[in-house]
Amino acid sequence: MVFPLLAAGCKGVRALGTPPRPRPDVAVLDDAITAEKLMIARYHAAISGSPAQAAFLTPLLAQHQEHAARLTSRLVNPRPASPAPASSPTATPQAPTLTALQAAEEDAADALVRHLAEVTPSLAQLLASIAASEASHAQLLQSRGGTG
Amino acid sequence: MTDDGRSALQSALAAEHAAIYGYAVAGAHLTGSLEEAAQRDWTVHQVAMDTLEARLTSLGAQPVPAQDAYQLPFPVHSSRAAISLAAYVEDRVAAAYLGVVAVDDPALRTWGAAQVRAAALRATSWSGRATAFPGLPARAPVKASAPPSTAP
Repeated sequence: MVFPLLAAGCKGVRALGTPPRPRPDVAVLDDAITAEKLMIARYHAAISGSPAQAAFLTPLLAQHQEHAARLTSRLVNPRPASPAPASSPTATPQAPTLTALQAAEEDAADALVRHLAEVTPSLAQLLASIAASEASHAQLLQSRGGTG
Repeated sequence: MTDDGRSALQSALAAEHAAIYGYAVAGAHLTGSLEEAAQRDWTVHQVAMDTLEARLTSLGAQPVPAQDAYQLPFPVHSSRAAISLAAYVEDRVAAAYLGVVAVDDPALRTWGAAQVRAAALRATSWSGRATAFPGLPARAPVKASAPPSTAP
């Protein structure tokens, strides 16, 4: 049984008075962490397939790694890797284009805010912030040559 | 609406007042398309201010007024500093709307998240960079990590 850490920074106004609601938080965290691992795998594939874009893509990859780390740190007992998308033979068979990365970032940003109402205030804030970051990635990818 | 919702909206309104001031300062140091962009974003924040004031008034609350002047985070005497100020202001706005994301009302949470996203997109337009956690404070050093580079 895993419980999220509720004491992380950025307290909501009511954070201290709201009883913990651990089950939705854990489920939402798991989904968010899985999505970040998939994005990390996509960026690795994109950089491998298109080294000329490495200088542009590497900072975005690093931010996804920060997202995954901060999400994982909210689990008291982080799971030892559900099968990582990177090691799955079916995931990311070919390097995604900038346009594909842009679409993936937009989808990821939308998915993060889909369950805002079900989670604790501080997790809602973290999810909203990460979603905003990923929307910004999509914007940069678009101006770099993706589509809009 | 609960008190926490009203309080979060007041904080967002205060951030919008500060943003309007910040864009006025920034715009004075910009020309051409950058000045137009500052004007456009200044208008966005004016509209947001009006929306928040109307909402607070309808809830029976007295909207917080703007201050006469605001302390700038750094001196602004160049176009480069003006651009940094615009990005800074947007991150502060994102932080204020994260307060709205923490309230219990689901519709307000969703609306707050959309405002955080919009502010982050404007910040990225100004700075040309994305940040990992728009609106959230830099994390205490659990693990030392280099700050995002500030110079190209």
